Amino acid sequence: MKIRSLGYCVRQGFKNIWRNRMFSVASITTMTACILLFGMFFSVLMNVNFMIRTLEEEVGVTVLFDEGLEQEKIDEIGEKIRAMEHVTDVTYTSAEEAWENFQQEYFEGNEEYAKSFSENGENPLANSASYTVRVDEIENQNSIVTRIKRLEGVRQVNQSAGATKTLISFNSLFTYVAVAIIALLLVVSIFLIANTVNVGISVRRHEIAIMKLIGATDSFVRAPFIVEGLLLGLIGSLIPLGILFVAYDRILGWLLNRFGVLNTISGSLPSVLEVFHVLAPVGVALGLGIGLIGSIITVRRHLRV
Amino acid sequence: MIDLDRVSKSYEKGQPAVDEISLHVDKGEFVFVVGESGSGKSTLIRLLLKELEPTKGIITVNGHVLNTMKHKAVSKYRREVGVVFQDFRLLNDRNVYENVAFAQHVIEEPGRIVKRRVPEVLRMVGLAEKYKSKPMQLSGGEQQRVAVARAIVNRPKILLADEPTGNLDPRNSYDIMKLLDEINQQGTTVLVVTHNKDLVDQFHKRVITMRRGIISRDVEEGFYHED
Repeated sequence: MKIRSLGYCVRQGFKNIWRNRMFSVASITTMTACILLFGMFFSVLMNVNFMIRTLEEEVGVTVLFDEGLEQEKIDEIGEKIRAMEHVTDVTYTSAEEAWENFQQEYFEGNEEYAKSFSENGENPLANSASYTVRVDEIENQNSIVTRIKRLEGVRQVNQSAGATKTLISFNSLFTYVAVAIIALLLVVSIFLIANTVNVGISVRRHEIAIMKLIGATDSFVRAPFIVEGLLLGLIGSLIPLGILFVAYDRILGWLLNRFGVLNTISGSLPSVLEVFHVLAPVGVALGLGIGLIGSIITVRRHLRV
Repeated sequence: MIDLDRVSKSYEKGQPAVDEISLHVDKGEFVFVVGESGSGKSTLIRLLLKELEPTKGIITVNGHVLNTMKHKAVSKYRREVGVVFQDFRLLNDRNVYENVAFAQHVIEEPGRIVKRRVPEVLRMVGLAEKYKSKPMQLSGGEQQRVAVARAIVNRPKILLADEPTGNLDPRNSYDIMKLLDEINQQGTTVLVVTHNKDLVDQFHKRVITMRRGIISRDVEEGFYHED
């Protein structure tokens, strides 16, 4: 097919959509539902991932040492931990710093209470010198903890990643459900587009027969139907993306509330623009892909030229 | 221009529709193919258009051996062969101009050529003034003129006509045949399948008579004759 026929094929594609508008509307609606759901799941996943990342950065592993361990040994342990794979950061907190932090956190404004804990000015947290260890990904935390526990001089390793773990398990469950629903809708969308294109072919059988007799090439006969599928896919992805763009905050708030995740949010969540930076191209590509597959299936089966 | 060498075409069981016919048509000839219904005339046209494959024999048209022609080459080949049918086969949702231009769009002619060539052909078939009419607003004779215009707009070397006057009154039938004759005068090889005895007798052209799948007569400047 020649480039100059492109305009002709696109016009014919639009005409096909208009001629079978009932079917076109049906496939665009299904596609809209499919990509809208995809977009919603995608936004939630992106937000949950964002939360996990934030928590990962905030939550570390605390390493406590045997009573009376010398500073030299402590430094040695620090070096060993630093050398471990997946460890991104190791911060030392001395017993004095720990006590100061504790006082600040719990007795701010009531310093006199603190004194009742500290007899003779001694540090009640004398054995609380610690390392705070941060890992690159939360999934690697368990193995790091096991390795640190094996080090000589380590008394205790505290993991406080309960919230992160919940989020991760929520994330994977959510992903499974989302993938299943989206896959189902994808199949339905492809089927409906194939059906719409097929109606277009039936309606134009007479015209196609004439085209073939006059000497149209296969690609020229097929192109308008492929264009039709692509256009349906494009429209069916732009509508839900538009809806999501306008209603992003409301939809996301509702969804997160519904799944009880909202209360664990810390910090600001990704904005609609940040989400759309990824979602828009993916959504449009998904729409075009569905349209292309749907129309190719039909053209191959019903348009033997 | 057209060569058939012992060509047969059978549809499932029974008598073949075309039975070992051999035929030669020269460049620039005008040929009538006559015969009763079921004698194999339409099968002959469909074989020449490569809509059907022969069961046996070799068909050569304009230097192309149709039997061995690859699927991809068929569209190019069909651009060399214009075709007109009894039922016109026009696109009723498009006007006269668009119907003829359609043939040029289909073979991907540039727009400027379409704009020049379509009015030229419409003048030739006498429909220049009715270019905006839809097929349903035209008489049968006019519709067939549109079909002829569409068949010749791409300057085919051969024009095949399958009962082109089958749906027309004598006056219009004569005009269409006259038009086909004029096209032939300009160098196009024309092959007309027809039942119309009066017309065949008026035009004194080569007449090939088919009967039960075989060529029973082949006469230069002949008359309509059913064996």
